[in-house]
Amino acid sequence: MELNYGLISVDDHVQEPPDLWTSRLSSSRWADRVPHLERQNGTERWVVDGQVLLGGHAARVGALMGDRNRDPDRWEDVPTAAYRPADRLKAMDAAGVDYSVLFPTVAGLAGETFGSLQDPELELACVQAYNDWLIDEWAGASERFIPQCIVPIWPPDATVREIRRAVERGHRGVVFPSLPMDLRDVPHIADPDYEPVWAVCEELGVPLCLHAGASPGLQYPGTSGLSPTMAAALDAATRPVSSVYVLGLYLFSRVLLRHPKLQVVLAESALSWGMLYLEWADHQFEHDGLDREGYDLTPSEMFHRQCYFNAWYDKVAPFAPYVGADRILWSTNLPQANSTWPRTQETITSCFEGVSPEVREQVLWRNASRLYQI
Amino acid sequence: MQLKFGLISADSHAAFDKDTFTSRMSAAKWGDKIPHVAPSEREGQSIDGWSVYDRRSDTVCNCPAVMGDPFPHWPQRWEEVPRMAYDPHERLKALDIDGVDAEVLFPNPPGGEFHRFGDVQFELDTVQAYNDALADWARVSDRYLPLAIIPYLQEPMEIAREIERSIENGHKGVNVAGRMPKGRPHLADPYWFPLWEACEALGSPIHFHGSAGIGAGTSAKSWDGYSTRQAHSASTSTSAVTPAQIIPQLVFSGVTERFPNLKVVFAEAGIGGLNYVLAACDHEWECRHLWTEGLTTRPSEAVRRQMFVNFWFEAEGIKLRHDIGIDNIMWEADFPHVASYYPKSWDAVERVLDGVSEEDRRKLLYENAIRVYQIDVTPAETR
Repeated sequence: MELNYGLISVDDHVQEPPDLWTSRLSSSRWADRVPHLERQNGTERWVVDGQVLLGGHAARVGALMGDRNRDPDRWEDVPTAAYRPADRLKAMDAAGVDYSVLFPTVAGLAGETFGSLQDPELELACVQAYNDWLIDEWAGASERFIPQCIVPIWPPDATVREIRRAVERGHRGVVFPSLPMDLRDVPHIADPDYEPVWAVCEELGVPLCLHAGASPGLQYPGTSGLSPTMAAALDAATRPVSSVYVLGLYLFSRVLLRHPKLQVVLAESALSWGMLYLEWADHQFEHDGLDREGYDLTPSEMFHRQCYFNAWYDKVAPFAPYVGADRILWSTNLPQANSTWPRTQETITSCFEGVSPEVREQVLWRNASRLYQI
Repeated sequence: MQLKFGLISADSHAAFDKDTFTSRMSAAKWGDKIPHVAPSEREGQSIDGWSVYDRRSDTVCNCPAVMGDPFPHWPQRWEEVPRMAYDPHERLKALDIDGVDAEVLFPNPPGGEFHRFGDVQFELDTVQAYNDALADWARVSDRYLPLAIIPYLQEPMEIAREIERSIENGHKGVNVAGRMPKGRPHLADPYWFPLWEACEALGSPIHFHGSAGIGAGTSAKSWDGYSTRQAHSASTSTSAVTPAQIIPQLVFSGVTERFPNLKVVFAEAGIGGLNYVLAACDHEWECRHLWTEGLTTRPSEAVRRQMFVNFWFEAEGIKLRHDIGIDNIMWEADFPHVASYYPKSWDAVERVLDGVSEEDRRKLLYENAIRVYQIDVTPAETR
């Protein structure tokens, strides 16, 4: 590992190019059901199997645009740092980022897009094309990119097969849409059916990455009269904290107790709600008498053993002592509109006020380098 | 009111006597639809529960804190319900035992959501019976600070009138659902402005309690693998994010900008939710230049000016009181629910406030509540 800046960003997004799926999937078999850019009235938008993605835009790259509130409507207006690895590296240098852990955009910020397709064969084909492309184009371009695979959500043996194949090819983490039963009619995520998925992540030593926003139903939708900018701000402000339900599910359903080596990253979770939630979960655990119901650990103990919050604009000093400096990861969230890019280093300076150099190193890169074996 | 203990609960729950509604609503008009306690059956056992609009429930009273057993359980029959849960005279003894001067009163079963049957007139009559009954508590003692509920299905001007009537009758504020009933506009829609206008003019805070019905997380398919207690823990603790889901609605939709003197209280949602709101809303405001969209006040300023949260167990959270806002935090008992420390609230207070200065303690334990609820007090004689 070579560190020039002292930051491993654990949550950034690649923008998939228009030919990613069309060049890899059989057009005679799938025709226009594959993800592609569709031209309409002079604008372009992503469509898969009839569903319009990214709010009808050509990309989701606010931070790289002159005006963060305007996503591009034509591919030619998408900044190259969004989709060209060599230009992304320059953008990383500009903001002082050594390594970048990659999440998708068209395939869903949380890898959720293809799980809602009703055809599992099309789902698998789209997933595999993305996973192959990310290794070929990004991981192949620089070791500063840490690729993570997406998965078919059902059946679990297909999920497991794809995780094995992807990790074999070089993927270092698993992007898993946290509530697959919200995407299509599959069993609840806490059901035993998914045991093989948790087991294979443990066995291969790859973190399970649950990115906020996989299930928009966890957020309180805004009122309809808002401007697009205000609606986007509201959505962005309520998204990270919506991870609370997902975290609670993993803590109380005993998934973590059954899989003590499973490491769970709550990507784009932010940090400042976490302390209250953990303290509350322990309080409720005690008052509901759950120590009599067969848990070896309290919720906060499970968290401290197996979970990570991912912050990018929160103050660290108030929360690090209780949440645990070894359980906080940092990111830039590039190129989302609420990324700190390109002022990432200035933000870090203010967020880490009053934090010791040791804790700062832990949060900014040591935890991530251990987790991703960089 | 005289402060004897120096402790005001900004969140407790008033249970009602079983004839509360039958004695106030017209039997000729509503018959068995009137909320009353009726026998029901659960797993072959006969139990009592509140019946409302002919819908039976199997909860007769939510009052585990007064059942006399540290391991929580709930009464199955009306005869088991301790008087101090529902009789305002008896309950004063409980307040004395726990060392609490006064309490803000939220609903207990049969609850405060009478809109769910879609019957406009039934909702209005039941809501008025509720508000009248709770106003009677305040006549028994000024240590009770009742909160009115509202008839959502009425026209907004009519709802505002019921708010004014209730405040006139002794209520100290209004409890509001975080998600408005199906078919009604969004919480932040201008449709509801007459309510906020009335509350702002009266100086009466509005309240969102617990999950506030917004279903942060409950929209997801529930899991049938939990025991009842596990499900309760898993769902209740997510109330930690209620302020984080609701406050951005009010700020980014311009409600706080339009009603800068409207006070908003989040009860039983913990204090740490505000940390997140302050950070997240300011971050979005800055990086999206939201002042160019008409939001001229920095969100954290509006939040500190108008929003209040409660604490009771948060020993860690209280360390952040100055990040959150020392003037924005009140103590709550959650009496007589399972999360309450009754009858040892003071033990919890001392544990949670260990090392906190006298000045901060006063604010947290009663001064902020006195200001928010405009309570008339004679000087404190703290213990």
